[in-house]
Amino acid sequence: MKKHSLVLVTVDCLRADHVGFQGYSRPVTPFLDSLAQNSVVFSDAIVAGAPTYFSFPAIIASRYPLGLGRDVLGIAPNEPTIATALRDTGYKTAAFLAGNPYLSPRFGYHQGFNEFHDFLDSTLPGECIAPTTPSKKLLSDLNRRMQAVSHRTHLTATAYDELYFWYCQLCSRREAVSMDQLRRYPAADVMVDRASSWLRNLGDEPFFLWVHLMDPHHPYYPPQEALSSLGTSNISARRARFLNSFWKRTDIGPQRLQRYRVEILSLYDAGVYWADKQISLLVSALQHLQRWDETVFVVTADHGEEFLEHGARYHAPMSLSEQLIHVPLLLRAPKLLGRRLSQGPFSMIHLAPTLLEAVGAAVPDSFQGRSRWEDISMGNLPNEAAIAECVEACNNPFRVDDRIRPRLLVIRDREYKLVIHFSNKSDCLYDLKNDPGECSPLPTGVLTSERVRLLKLARVHLQNSRRSRNTAFAVRARLRELQQSTGSKPEQAPASPVAG
Amino acid sequence: MESEWLMTQYRTVRLPEDLCTEAEKWLTGRFDNLETLISFLLQEIVKDEGSKLDQLEELLVQQRLRDLGYL
Repeated sequence: MKKHSLVLVTVDCLRADHVGFQGYSRPVTPFLDSLAQNSVVFSDAIVAGAPTYFSFPAIIASRYPLGLGRDVLGIAPNEPTIATALRDTGYKTAAFLAGNPYLSPRFGYHQGFNEFHDFLDSTLPGECIAPTTPSKKLLSDLNRRMQAVSHRTHLTATAYDELYFWYCQLCSRREAVSMDQLRRYPAADVMVDRASSWLRNLGDEPFFLWVHLMDPHHPYYPPQEALSSLGTSNISARRARFLNSFWKRTDIGPQRLQRYRVEILSLYDAGVYWADKQISLLVSALQHLQRWDETVFVVTADHGEEFLEHGARYHAPMSLSEQLIHVPLLLRAPKLLGRRLSQGPFSMIHLAPTLLEAVGAAVPDSFQGRSRWEDISMGNLPNEAAIAECVEACNNPFRVDDRIRPRLLVIRDREYKLVIHFSNKSDCLYDLKNDPGECSPLPTGVLTSERVRLLKLARVHLQNSRRSRNTAFAVRARLRELQQSTGSKPEQAPASPVAG
Repeated sequence: MESEWLMTQYRTVRLPEDLCTEAEKWLTGRFDNLETLISFLLQEIVKDEGSKLDQLEELLVQQRLRDLGYL
């Protein structure tokens, strides 16, 4: 019997409540909505961590993000992944990833791929560095001094920040720009074109294709065509640049940011729309090549995005709110009946083993998740809690010191969510049925049995995380990082203690 | 740092000759010699500050369960 092929499409920052098949009212995902009718839709898919660097170890290697220790980032050298498992059984493998720096060979994501394209070395249309002239340098020095002086008091700092923001806007108004020039990542059409071209050159062998799209990622610069299709063509490139600049301001509060939230959401949605449209073209390519019927096709996300629901923007690991951990997950497989699974959360830790079983491949022993293929085929998911974790406030994981911080841990079942902030030794229990927006944590003493049940699961997770750690992988990953950081002679390396 | 090292007792370890030769090729421009490289790597590995936090977090959850009267 011919082996099934596998296509995994991951869309960065795509939150569950912004796709039509999860109830979003705006028609941003017409293709995925139609595909969902013949697919298994997981209503409650929960990532194992956020953002990207804490999410993908689970998706690709079925390992909790802190499973090798919080100082390990990415996939360890020689750690089995879905790609290595399939390549080792004769699959052709390829990855086309739209320029996310965390999904690169530096962090081991290339392992198992015959072809790996991270698009990190590609120059985008708008990417150029303006030459520094003496007058520009003088202005820049003057500005730095003014900033330093004005930031001595709150009042003058506020005035300076406000004036400087509008001064920058005024300066940039003169420049002619287009969305394509402003975009920071290759758009989905580039990824799908390259992936389709790879598919066309394949023989008859089974394949594994991973495509990662960055279109909904900030800064939000969707193609103008996507904005027009959603009826928001009034947002010009210049306006989008202003909106993105305003949205990233750190000197103002949520109240002022709120003013532009609707337009920012339009830009984000247009990014989602563009990803949806290109996914439809990828499916068309598979159909045209007569590979569609034998292919297991999965669409999901690494995490969501926040738009001030809890005061925050983007997807920093400051919280693991529902906006960040609840993602869409759609699985279409030959002979699998389309249905919606909503009995309980589906942890993304189980995705890789499930997909391997779906294509008939063996699941590596190192995987921490278990295949749910049989449950899915029967249309029944066990109601078990999903676990998500990250290192709180680890905004720059390239710095080891940023990773050696307390964990933020979430135990989430169908009705309740326990958030443990180890940084301030607190835990918050939410009743998601009555408080889906996580607005009011339940006071201690209310629903204690639920709190205790989830705390016990947290304890088991922490114990397993430490005791079942694969030391060999952890050491290899740390050595890789040391090697990368010691490209030149390290300052911290001690001088030779004894000569000869 | 050097004075600390001079006061330390040393141990002789046996390593395969070909491995040492390969490592010496690699360390050129990065470390003074093989001892420095190996000491640095071992220091980095045993440092493992993350594990200390792991243990602390486990204890915090146990304490919370105890406070709630379930341990």
